Formats: sequence, C-alpha cells, structure tokens
Amino acid sequence: MTEVPVKVEKDGAWVVAKVDIGKEGLAFGPPIDLEVKYKSIIDLDERKNVLFITVKGEREIVLRVASVEKVLLVLKKMITMSCSAYRLMAYFMSPAVRGGVMITSAIWEKGAIAVLKSGIWFVSQEKQVCVPLQEVTGIEMTTREVQAKKVEVVKIDHMEGSEVVTSFVLCPLSTLQILFNFLKDATKHMEMGEGQVVDPQAAQVGMLVYSGMDSLAIEKMLQITHKDLEGIYERLLKIGLIEVMFIRREVQLTPKGVRYITDAVKPPGQ
Amino acid sequence: MGRILIVDDTLFMRTLLKNILFAGGHDIVGEAGDGDEAIAKYQELKPDLVTMDIVMPKMNGIEALKGIRAHDPNAKVIMCTAVGQEQMVKLAIKTGAKGYIVKPFQAPKVLEEIKNVIGT
Repeated sequence: MTEVPVKVEKDGAWVVAKVDIGKEGLAFGPPIDLEVKYKSIIDLDERKNVLFITVKGEREIVLRVASVEKVLLVLKKMITMSCSAYRLMAYFMSPAVRGGVMITSAIWEKGAIAVLKSGIWFVSQEKQVCVPLQEVTGIEMTTREVQAKKVEVVKIDHMEGSEVVTSFVLCPLSTLQILFNFLKDATKHMEMGEGQVVDPQAAQVGMLVYSGMDSLAIEKMLQITHKDLEGIYERLLKIGLIEVMFIRREVQLTPKGVRYITDAVKPPGQ
Repeated sequence: MGRILIVDDTLFMRTLLKNILFAGGHDIVGEAGDGDEAIAKYQELKPDLVTMDIVMPKMNGIEALKGIRAHDPNAKVIMCTAVGQEQMVKLAIKTGAKGYIVKPFQAPKVLEEIKNVIGT
C-alpha cells in the first residue's frame, strides 16, 4: 500500500486527506473515510488536474480528487488498469499530430486502452492520456506503415483545449474493429444528418474558423461582406457546426465623440 | 521573424497561410503555384523558409524539395500534406524536409512549428 496526500471535494469544499493506493482499491482516510474498490469505479475523467472518479454503489457518487501530477499519474494508472471497463492491449501514438503539425518525435507506445463511460484512456508505463468521448471529432480506420509493414489502425481526432489532436491506435484487427464501432457509435450524434448540406463557400468559412481566423480576416480573405458572412454563420449555426463565442461590436463616433476627439488632439492652450 | 515563400497550387490555401504567417510577424516574400515556380522563386528570393504543398500539378512538392536542396542543401522547407499522405511524409523526411503540417491546420501550431524550424 502506498499512502499519498490528496485533496478531495467534500460538501463543496476541498479537504486534505490521505489515500492508500492498494492492489484492490483506494482507502481514503479522515475526513473522507471511504473505501473504494477499483471494480466499483465505472468512470474516470480528468479536467485541469482534477480526477473525477465515478463509483457505483447503492447510489452513484463522483469523487473529485486533486493532487500533484506524480500522485495523479499513479492514481490514473491504478484505476484505468483495474476499474470496471473494456480493456484491450494495444499500441498507441498520442499525440501524433497537434493543431495540424506532425509530432516528429511521436512513437508507438505499448500499453492498454481502457474504454470507460465518458472517454477512452491510453495507458502506458510512462503516460496516461484521456480522450473524453464528447471531445472526439473524428474516427477513421486507416493504414499506417509500421516497421515497413502496412497495418490497419484507428485514427482518432479529438480536442484538447482549443487544439485538435490526432492519435492512432494499433491492435489486432478484430479488436480494432470493436473499438472503431464503439467510438463510431458513441460519436454518432456528431455525424451530418440527412439534408444537412454545407455549400463550398460555407465550407471555406469553416476551414478558416478551424485555422483560427476571426470574422474580419474571413471577410477580407473571401472578399465577402459582413452581411454575407452573417448569413453563412447562420447556416453553420443551424446545423450545429459552429457556436457563438462572443459578439464583437462595430461602432462609429457620435457628434459628441467627434468633438471630444477633435478637442483631444488640439495642442495645449488652444 | 522570417522571410517565407509559400508554395501551394490553391489560391485559398496560399491566402490562408499568408494570413496566418503575416499575423505571426513573418514577411511573405513570394508565392508559387507549382514545383517549377517554387525552385525558380527560391533561387531568386532566397527565403529563410518555404512552406511546400506536396500534391501539385507539373512538379510535385517532393521533387521541388529535391530541386531546392540541390541548389541549397541548408534550405529549410516545411511540407504541407493532406491527411492520409503519410507515405509522402516519409519520403519528404528522407529528402530533407524540416517539418510537416497536416491540413487542416491551426494557426498557433503552424507558427510554433515555423519558429522551431527557423530557429534551427
């Protein structure tokens, strides 16, 4: 057993507690006083250095646990490898591409993939990467060359903050197909529905938004008016491809404003 | 900040890259729409860095990369590929490309990659 300090959310406040990381489960000391078997953990999520551990019992509870990175790494590894989840041994490469830039140092890592309720975890000796299902933007079966052989892999595109990240999973074909089908099904709501069509200009706008262009840059690049762009945004909003972040106002000076600015630039004493 | 030559056969991608790089403080010294033009412009403009599309008419990006490196073995070229062209990427690595961008891309990461390559 390894005892480590953590912070756990209790009644809306963070309290310091110690947790024993055992072979069968976690034992939180006072003031939490709770034993959690790994097998009773049905979900694990990580947001900004906080682990959200969902425990099945008479009633489902979500433990929020924060700690230093080293402790979280151990917790994540123990939970993902022993909790109630679909697990498969696999090779993974994550991230392989970040924001469109290929990570040249990316390597295939041997480890496991744990499929949980809200996301999938890539777990290796060195790292644990969580891909929340709601952050998955694309799934594809594709081929990659691994050790001079072409092999089938699953390519997963997902968001990490505002960045689009691509990861690859490699395992026996039958398992790969199961993983692919699961992810495809879990992200079905993101597929374009019947009759949801994006015209070429709207697609260009989408591409520019993806690249980080703001509305003004888009209008200039595509040589379209503000009204044209608003129309395209409306169409993209309607089919759920974009969301409004904020509304920026364009203004002009009132006569009072013009007078103020004119006065402000006059040399002193005039 | 660097002097950059953008090579891509589509005006849209050239304009997009131009906007991203300009906003990042770089100087766009020229544009080319195919490999032949890229080699000629490289020799004429001697940029610090080239962003090179792989699939282009007449001469593709790999051939253009070879041509540029034959003229200047220290040339810094970042290849621009579409998803699923990993084979081409491997070839580009062997040929001496310094970085790889996959379309579609995000501006901050592209600028980061360019900064890394220009700094080497």
